[in-house]
Amino acid sequence: MSATPLLELRGIDKSFGPVQVLRDVAFAAYPGEVTALVGDNGAGKSTLVKCISGIYPTDAGQFVFDGRPVNIHSPRDAAALGIEVVYQDLALCDNLDIVQNMFLGREKRSGIVLDEPTMEQMAAETLAGLSVRTVKSLRQHVSSLSGGQRQTVAIAKAVLWNSRLVILDEPTAALGVAQTAQVLELVRRLADNGLAVVLISHNMNDVFAVSDRIAALYLGQMVAQVKTTDITHAQVVELITAGRSGGLGLTGESATNGNGAAPADSTTGGVS
Amino acid sequence: MRVGPSQDEIRRQNLGALLRFVHVHGATTRAELTTALGLNRSTIGALTADLAAAGLVTEGAPRETGRAGRPSLVVRPESDRVFAYAYSIEVDRLRAARVGLGGAVLDRRELDRPRGLTAAEAAPLLAGAVKEMRQALPEDAVCVGAGVAVCGMVRRDDGLVRLGPTTGWVDEPIGAALGTELGVDVPVTVGNVADVAVFAEHARGAAAGCDNVIYLYGDVGVGAGIIAGGRRLTGHGGYSGEVGHMVVARDGARCECGNRGCWETEIGEHGLLRAAGRSDARGREAMLAVFDAADRGDAQAQIAVRQAGDWLGFGVANLVNIFNPEMVIFGGTMRDLYLAAAAQVRSRLNSNGLPACLEHVRLRTPKLGADAPLVGAAELAFDRLLADPLDVS
Ligand SMILES: Nc1ncnc2c1ncn2[C@@H]1O[C@H](COP(=O)(O)OP(=O)(O)OP(=O)(O)O)[C@@H](O)[C@H]1O
Ligand SMILES: [Mg+2]
Ligand SMILES: [Zn+2]
Repeated sequence: MSATPLLELRGIDKSFGPVQVLRDVAFAAYPGEVTALVGDNGAGKSTLVKCISGIYPTDAGQFVFDGRPVNIHSPRDAAALGIEVVYQDLALCDNLDIVQNMFLGREKRSGIVLDEPTMEQMAAETLAGLSVRTVKSLRQHVSSLSGGQRQTVAIAKAVLWNSRLVILDEPTAALGVAQTAQVLELVRRLADNGLAVVLISHNMNDVFAVSDRIAALYLGQMVAQVKTTDITHAQVVELITAGRSGGLGLTGESATNGNGAAPADSTTGGVS
Repeated sequence: MRVGPSQDEIRRQNLGALLRFVHVHGATTRAELTTALGLNRSTIGALTADLAAAGLVTEGAPRETGRAGRPSLVVRPESDRVFAYAYSIEVDRLRAARVGLGGAVLDRRELDRPRGLTAAEAAPLLAGAVKEMRQALPEDAVCVGAGVAVCGMVRRDDGLVRLGPTTGWVDEPIGAALGTELGVDVPVTVGNVADVAVFAEHARGAAAGCDNVIYLYGDVGVGAGIIAGGRRLTGHGGYSGEVGHMVVARDGARCECGNRGCWETEIGEHGLLRAAGRSDARGREAMLAVFDAADRGDAQAQIAVRQAGDWLGFGVANLVNIFNPEMVIFGGTMRDLYLAAAAQVRSRLNSNGLPACLEHVRLRTPKLGADAPLVGAAELAFDRLLADPLDVS
């Protein structure tokens, strides 16, 4: 556990045309910790992640990475900082094997051409470092893998290049119980290996099973970011559905965010 | 008057420390060993030479690192040659393995165990598995001992299994039975499954570097392996950690131990299956089927899982308040219950745990997975080697 965030966002605004989707959002991710990002459908979770990964430009706000102010204008900028996102569609190629998939599209970033034995060894070491035992052969086609194994390969791909922040958008959404368990253990291991991990999930078991902190978005506002030891299931559900729970979250007509940043304008509705 | 340790004792201790380091951490350069053990280069060189002569480690060039400079020699444990036999006697299965120095499982066999099988009946089955493994043994392989993980209470002095409510054993000499049956001239050390599992996770798993750890192991019953202040908590006779029998409900369900309302009657196999309306079902697969049904929306299964999760949280809160651990590990069926009901477990723990005790507690599942009992059983055997490497080898 660490007191200094690896990534800190302040005052992030983002609109699509007339629709403001993120409003004065503050957010922090810490090395060695899993931060769960929760919120109802349409709360703005994926949009926030796309701002972090340089896919969407922000309208306002600051990014601080490793204590330094940074600009992220493109996925390339994010990758250069060591920020990796595993999207739900995974973007794996069915007709390629595990090693080929893990190195797919990465040749440019490394700047050197790697030979097959080296790639295979790096892939094997990455999987071993994550204590992955379920994959039998690195040379099997991705099409032959289970959903959980595919998710594992996508995650391993994200950590292959000394990443520092890994963001997972609903990694267990399509999985059964046994595979969800394996992916959750993998998510936890990433953080235990020292990475900052952000986990987006609608499943409260997933959130409570592996997270150290919970950040709750409600209609585009960050209504709380709290330690997982300081909150209950019922309170998180209230934050997600009502934007407040007891002393946490939105207060009265004014909205504050959990990190004590400046209060934002009150809203109920208007953002959808 | 007590005089200081002799040269010989110091050397033995240093040999043990070096061997333990490479046993736990794997290949290590001499330079790293010098720093880690706080000994000078020539001492490390001499110790390594002694251990190499005894066939316990090898020295060689490191793998290509790509870094410039003259590489320091790497010391590796003789993992393929030096090994221990490990057995795990569980409610529904028997496992035997050959575990190399360094902790890798080299070979393994697994057998179903009909519930109610006695130690005398289990021993020949395990011996049969060992006989098979022996046929594939490298010529120069050396067995340094055998360890047994058993779901039952184990007397520290002689490995007698006193009461295994779930195995149905009362005063069964499994260690002696296995020793006779195996006919190997090595000592057999017996330990409770949760005790050896926490030993393994502490040595080389999720709890490496943690000094205060609780490992909750579930099958039909639930037990805990506890590390307090860096040491394994055994109790006077070796029986500590029977947390499954802490009474949580005055008029609760009848437990296999004869009491009512034991914690394991709520979180163990019987409790979960009862609450799910599946009292006739048995075994881990049946429990997993309940988690699966809950995930698919079966209302009664969901209630059962949530209730069990809530009860798990109650008991963990008690343990956290009493022991102030930095890590709680959920193993066996407790892993599955924890992952399936973490929202309930955490919420209850957060409400009932004392804030100061909750501050630094991490909840984890085993890094060694289902291998922890085997790896831990082997650690029992390696422990003797590491205490006095040149004597045992
Ligand atoms: N490219 C876009 N153009 C216009 N509106 C968008 C765009 N992307 C997202 N939105 C809107 O922004 C809001 C937030 O969407 P976002 O996908 O970030 O939500 P989410 O929290 O990820 O939800 P879910 O849990 O359903 O994935 C929604 O109202 C959505 O319709
Ligand atoms: Mg989304
Ligand atoms: Zn009992």
